[in-house]
Amino acid sequence: MAEGVDFESLVAKHYEPLYQFAFSLTRDEAEACDLTQQTFCIWAAKGHQLRDVSKVKTWLFTTLHREFLGTRRRQSRFPHVELEHASAELPSVSPVSVNQLDAAQLLEALAQLDEIYRAPVALFYLQDYSYNEIAEILEIPLGTVKSRLTRGLARLYQLLSDKIKS
Amino acid sequence: MNRDEAKNILLLYRSDADAADPQVATAISFMKSDAELREWFEAHCATQKILREKFRQVAAPEGLVQQIVSEHKAMTEKNSRRDKFIVAGALVAIVAVVAVMAVVYLTPHRSPQVAYNTLVNFQSRMLSEASIGYAMTLATNDQDQIKSYLAKNDCPADYTLPTALAKTPATGCTKEDFLGTRVSMICFATGKPLTANHPGDLWLFVIPNSVLKDPPTSATPQLAEVRGISVATWTQGGEAYVLATPGDQQTVQKYL
Repeated sequence: MAEGVDFESLVAKHYEPLYQFAFSLTRDEAEACDLTQQTFCIWAAKGHQLRDVSKVKTWLFTTLHREFLGTRRRQSRFPHVELEHASAELPSVSPVSVNQLDAAQLLEALAQLDEIYRAPVALFYLQDYSYNEIAEILEIPLGTVKSRLTRGLARLYQLLSDKIKS
Repeated sequence: MNRDEAKNILLLYRSDADAADPQVATAISFMKSDAELREWFEAHCATQKILREKFRQVAAPEGLVQQIVSEHKAMTEKNSRRDKFIVAGALVAIVAVVAVMAVVYLTPHRSPQVAYNTLVNFQSRMLSEASIGYAMTLATNDQDQIKSYLAKNDCPADYTLPTALAKTPATGCTKEDFLGTRVSMICFATGKPLTANHPGDLWLFVIPNSVLKDPPTSATPQLAEVRGISVATWTQGGEAYVLATPGDQQTVQKYL
C-alpha cells in the first residue's frame, strides 16, 4: 500500500515533471498548474489504494493524463490519420537549426500536434520513459504508442522545419 | 529492409538501451552499410538530444509546490472539520433518537388505567386468582373476624352478604389488588372437598364502584358463566360484588 508515502516529499519529487507534462499538453501555465495540483489532490484522496509504491510516478502521470482528457471531450472524435510512410515525409531538421529555437518555440510546435500525438511525444522527450511505460500511462497498446510516436515526431519535425524556415 | 524502413525504426531511437530491440538492432546494422542513412541518424540523435534538453528547460512556476502543499493542508483540515461535524451530527441524531424512544417508552401510560379498569377485566382478574390457586391470609368461619381483618387492611369491609350466602360457612379471607385498589376476597365452602391451593370453592369479591369504569348498575345479581365458573354480579352501597363458584350459570344462584 502507498499509505506510507509522505505527501510533501512526493510533491517535491514529482511536481516538476508533472507540470512539464501538463504544460506540454495544455500550453497554458494556469491550466498546467491546475492539472498538476488536481493530480496531487486525487493522490491525497485515492493514493492509498495504490498497492505498488514503485508505480507512484506512473500513477501520477496516468492520473494527470486522465484529468487532461476529462477536460477535453473530443478525443473520441480525433481523426486517425494513417501515415504509412512517415519517414518519407520526414523533413530534414539539423541540430544546429533546432538549437536556434528556444523552449517556448518548441512547446508551441508541440502544442500544434494533434492531441493523440502530443501526449506520447511529450512523455518521449520529457522523461526517459520506456515505450511500455508510456503505454501504461496513456492506457493504450504498445504498438499504438510506437505508431503515434512515429507520426507525432514526423509531424513535429515538419512544424519545427517550418519554424526554422520562417 | 530499405532506407525508409530503417529511418522509420530509428526515428524513435533514444539511447543504447533501445539498441537491444531486434528491429532497432537490424536497422542499426543496415545503417552501417548506408553512409547517407548513417549521416541522417547522427543528425537525428543530435537533434533529439537538443530537443530533449530544451523541452526539459520548461520550469514550473515558483510557488507551485507551496501552493499544492498548502491547498492539501487546507483540504485536510477542512475534511477533518467536516468529519468532526459528521461525527457530532451523528451523535446528536443518536441522542435525539434515544431521547424520543425514552419519552415514548418510559413515559407513564395513562390510558391503560382507563382501558383496563372495566368490570369485565375485574371479573377476569379475580376469577383467575381463584382458579389458579391462592392462600387465605385469614382462615376462619367468623364473619366478624373476617370483616375486622379486611378493614385493617384497607379492604372493603362494610359489605352485605346475600341471605343464602350468609348461611354458607366461610373458610376465611385474603386481600387482593386491582389496579392499585384493595379488593376483599371472602372464601366459602359449598361442601365439596377442598385442597390446599383452593381453601374454598365459593368466592365473593368486593371493590368500590369508583374504581371501575363501568361498575354494575343493578342491585339485582346478573348471572353469567366465565370459563366454567358461574358468576353473579351486582352493586350495593357503592360497591361492586362478584360472587363466583365452579359450575354452570345457575350454580351460583342458590347462594344469592
